Amino acid sequence: MIKITDLEKIYRTEEVETVALNKLSLEVKEGEFVAVMGPSGCGKSTLLNILGLLDDPDGGSFLFNNIEVAHFNERKRAELRKHNIGFVFQSFNLIDELTVFENVELPLIYTGVKSAERKRRVEEVLDKMQIMHRRNHYPQQLSGGQQQRVAVARAVVNRPKLILADEPTGNLDSSNGNEVMQLLTDLNEQGTTIVMVTHSEHDARYSHRIIRMLDGQTVLENIMV
Amino acid sequence: MKFNYVKIAIRNLLKYRFVSFINLFGLTVGLTCCLLIATYVLHETSYDRYNDHADRIYRVTRSFNDPETGVQSLHLGTVAPPFAPLLQHDFAEIEKYTRLLPVGNIAVRYNDKMFYESNTYFADEYLFDFFKVQVVRGDPTTALREPNTIMLTEEVAKKYFGQEDPLDKIIRADNRLSLKVTGVYKPFPANAHLHPSLMISFNTLRDSAIYGEENLRTNWGNNAFLTYLMLPAQYDVQKLKAGFPDFLDKHMGNAGMESYKLSQWTQLHLQRLTDIHLHSHLDSEAEENGDIRRVYIFSAIALFILLIACINYMNLSTARSALRAKEIGIRKVVGARRKEIIVQFLCESVLLCWLATLLAFVLTWQLLPSLNKLSGQQLHIPILLQSKVLIPLLIVPFVVGLLSGLYPALFMSSFKPAKVLKGLFKAGGSNLSFRKVLVTAQFAISIILIVCTAIVFRQMKYMQEKSLGFDRDHIVTLPYFTALDNQFEAFRSHLLSGALVKNATRSSRIPTGRLLDAMESSMANGDTMMPITATIKFLSADYEFINTYGVKMVAGRNFSKEFGTDSASYIINEAAVSLLGFKSPQEAVGKSFSYGGKDGRLIGVFNDFHFESMHQRIVPLLIRIPPAGTAYNNISVKISGQNIQAALAHLEKTWKQFLPEVPCQYTFLDENFNRLYQSEQRQGALFTVFAGIAIFIACLGLFGLSAFTISQRVKEIGIRKVLGASVNNIVVLLSSDFLKLVAIAALIAFPVAWYAMSNWLQDFAYRTNIAWWIFPLAGIIAAIVALVTICFQAIKAAVANPVKSLRNE
Repeated sequence: MIKITDLEKIYRTEEVETVALNKLSLEVKEGEFVAVMGPSGCGKSTLLNILGLLDDPDGGSFLFNNIEVAHFNERKRAELRKHNIGFVFQSFNLIDELTVFENVELPLIYTGVKSAERKRRVEEVLDKMQIMHRRNHYPQQLSGGQQQRVAVARAVVNRPKLILADEPTGNLDSSNGNEVMQLLTDLNEQGTTIVMVTHSEHDARYSHRIIRMLDGQTVLENIMV
Repeated sequence: MKFNYVKIAIRNLLKYRFVSFINLFGLTVGLTCCLLIATYVLHETSYDRYNDHADRIYRVTRSFNDPETGVQSLHLGTVAPPFAPLLQHDFAEIEKYTRLLPVGNIAVRYNDKMFYESNTYFADEYLFDFFKVQVVRGDPTTALREPNTIMLTEEVAKKYFGQEDPLDKIIRADNRLSLKVTGVYKPFPANAHLHPSLMISFNTLRDSAIYGEENLRTNWGNNAFLTYLMLPAQYDVQKLKAGFPDFLDKHMGNAGMESYKLSQWTQLHLQRLTDIHLHSHLDSEAEENGDIRRVYIFSAIALFILLIACINYMNLSTARSALRAKEIGIRKVVGARRKEIIVQFLCESVLLCWLATLLAFVLTWQLLPSLNKLSGQQLHIPILLQSKVLIPLLIVPFVVGLLSGLYPALFMSSFKPAKVLKGLFKAGGSNLSFRKVLVTAQFAISIILIVCTAIVFRQMKYMQEKSLGFDRDHIVTLPYFTALDNQFEAFRSHLLSGALVKNATRSSRIPTGRLLDAMESSMANGDTMMPITATIKFLSADYEFINTYGVKMVAGRNFSKEFGTDSASYIINEAAVSLLGFKSPQEAVGKSFSYGGKDGRLIGVFNDFHFESMHQRIVPLLIRIPPAGTAYNNISVKISGQNIQAALAHLEKTWKQFLPEVPCQYTFLDENFNRLYQSEQRQGALFTVFAGIAIFIACLGLFGLSAFTISQRVKEIGIRKVLGASVNNIVVLLSSDFLKLVAIAALIAFPVAWYAMSNWLQDFAYRTNIAWWIFPLAGIIAAIVALVTICFQAIKAAVANPVKSLRNE
């Protein structure tokens, strides 16, 4: 599904040049659950942003479903993203002004799904995430675990092929964290490819494969059995 | 999707109530100003367009100039009576014409009711083909056909006849004419360039006792007739104009000029009916006209104010962009394209503008009466409700919304989601610089308006205080009646018998009026009389004019009854002395001089005084004692300032004794004088109001922006205070950034304001200088206003407990 080769990303300021990704190569197959680990500043989040088409690389190749996307413009990236990729963030990133229902509905609006269909699909996914009773609440009225369940619901409502999770349990206690990891595992078992950045060995063990990064490069791969 | 935009827009407006209020309030006030000014502009530009054939009607005007130099000396909006029929005879394309002769003040009497009527015209029956007049009684096709008939407005009819039917009643005009009422009409609309209240049939003039057929046919010298022509639709008026010189030469001969063609001395012109109100400022007009420059000035002010309100929106929206960065990031992550983000933000600004527009309509409706009072206009809200105006007005919220929302939308939609979701976004950089540019622009506009207001007021003060060269205080003026011709001395003696009346005089015109009369003149040069090609205007006055008005003689003497020859003597002003080439006033005294073909002598020189308004330069003027039988038009009475009521009572008593048939209607000269500058005074008042509003909106924006900027610097302020900064240090730190912008704004505003006001002052023949200190003063006012606005926020931030702000961070 994903094949990146010699990927480079360099952040430049007037005086300093920071290499975030240094000729990194990686392949993720369809249906895989991959965890990316490494110390702060090793380039994990940069990698995730590039995989999510939120940022563009400075060099190398990025094949998404065998299509070269490294130099897609903003419009094409947005188009590809909204149909294929879902995101889950550490800080949930829900829109405070929208209710739970409206937050989950948002990706469907941008993909042009009709209102009745949107309602059906949002309710279905809220039900699945066991958050239906909170549909009319605003994010700040929910607990951290509930907010992250909403975020996961939003990530999957469009039935993406790939979910990118950036430390999805970082802001949660262990019980809520486990619940979220279980949700992701269930999604993966239903066929969704997942790439997750984490600091937690515990969470990483839910994945099929752990990629360890250092200084913008992969240094080790652990296959989980 | 659209509903989602509206929904989130409403929630955002509610969430950021303070900023939304400032934006909404600023836009509402800005749009209200625009709507008020739009009402004025629409009214001014609508003049005479209500007439069915407005685009086919032209007014004939006549100018006079020096045939040698080509310099125009007079341009009248009225022409001599023979022109209209001859023009139609010679030019087949003229379909019809109509003529009106303004009468000025006449005394009208019906039974025991007697009033002066100032808007009386002789008008022919074709008037109704040209001007849309709603006749409520009588037949418009015949009402003005017969001689000695008259039509009245409903208001005038009611004044004389109350509930009686006015038709076929006989009224007396000036105790000379008996006129049968043949029609009643609704007043001409406010947006007509003339408003006759009484119209006497034009055929009445054909009576030789009134004016005479012969005069109508041959009197080329009485250029007093408003003359309108109807031309075919889409007709190229230049073709007609091209034939005018030959027409003049053919019909008027050379009028005694041997070396020039007559058409080199006088010309005919055509004015489109719809251009008269805003573009015509001739030496004689039916009524005081508007001015297209005023329309431009107020349109510019409206745009300025709207621009300031839009800038507020841009400023505050981009300033709080950091607060919305996360939302934008998430929207992008879940699939929003940049276009969709832009549309969302534009939706918010358009929604706010719609709300502001609705509120502005309500405010306009409420404030229009006050504006009418201030501007002396008769503006009504329905002018905004015509479909041709309303449809563009409904587009305004979109335009203003787009104008103010586009930059914030473009700016915010460019956020990189990867950055903003990581909290790496900081409001600043180019965005901050742009906001500074916007604040500077707001203050530059405000400073321009302050300077303009100050200069308008200085010019007003200058005109009111400049020495006129005569004493205008306590002079009462009245119309003159020929019934006084043989008894004026007795009338005057009776007036003077009361100690409260100091002097009285008769004259053809009075100061504050125009000097339009001129005749040919010549001066002795050796043994021959050499014609003077330049124009010397004249005033017919009696022996007491100079004394009554307190005009000073600078050489020679005033007219005096002790000299039997003074009916052939002339006195001139200093401007005429210069024109005639004398080195000093004394040199002119005693010279042989001929005026209007009458030989005489220059016996004295009086000082230049401002007979006309300050808009006009003092022209060469000659005063003569008129030949017997030449009508005076005015009486001026100088009364004592001690007991004005008693003096007026004495005047009225004397008037009744000598003119029992005529109402005694007087005006004070200084009231006339103030009326000359009324339009400038109103302009000054409007300028002040709108400049004030502009500054207020700019401050509102600055208030919001400083509140936001300071809230962004709470941590910095806390650290500085912990490190020992005093409240003063903090206030200076926070204020100085904004004050620098005001300083830059002042530098931009000064040359613009100077240029604009230099042009404006060109309209006045006598004008104040643009004092240098007005500029720094305007800058200081703007700076103080800005400082007060910012200080409120700055002090609040500076006195806050730093521990709290640091803990919050």
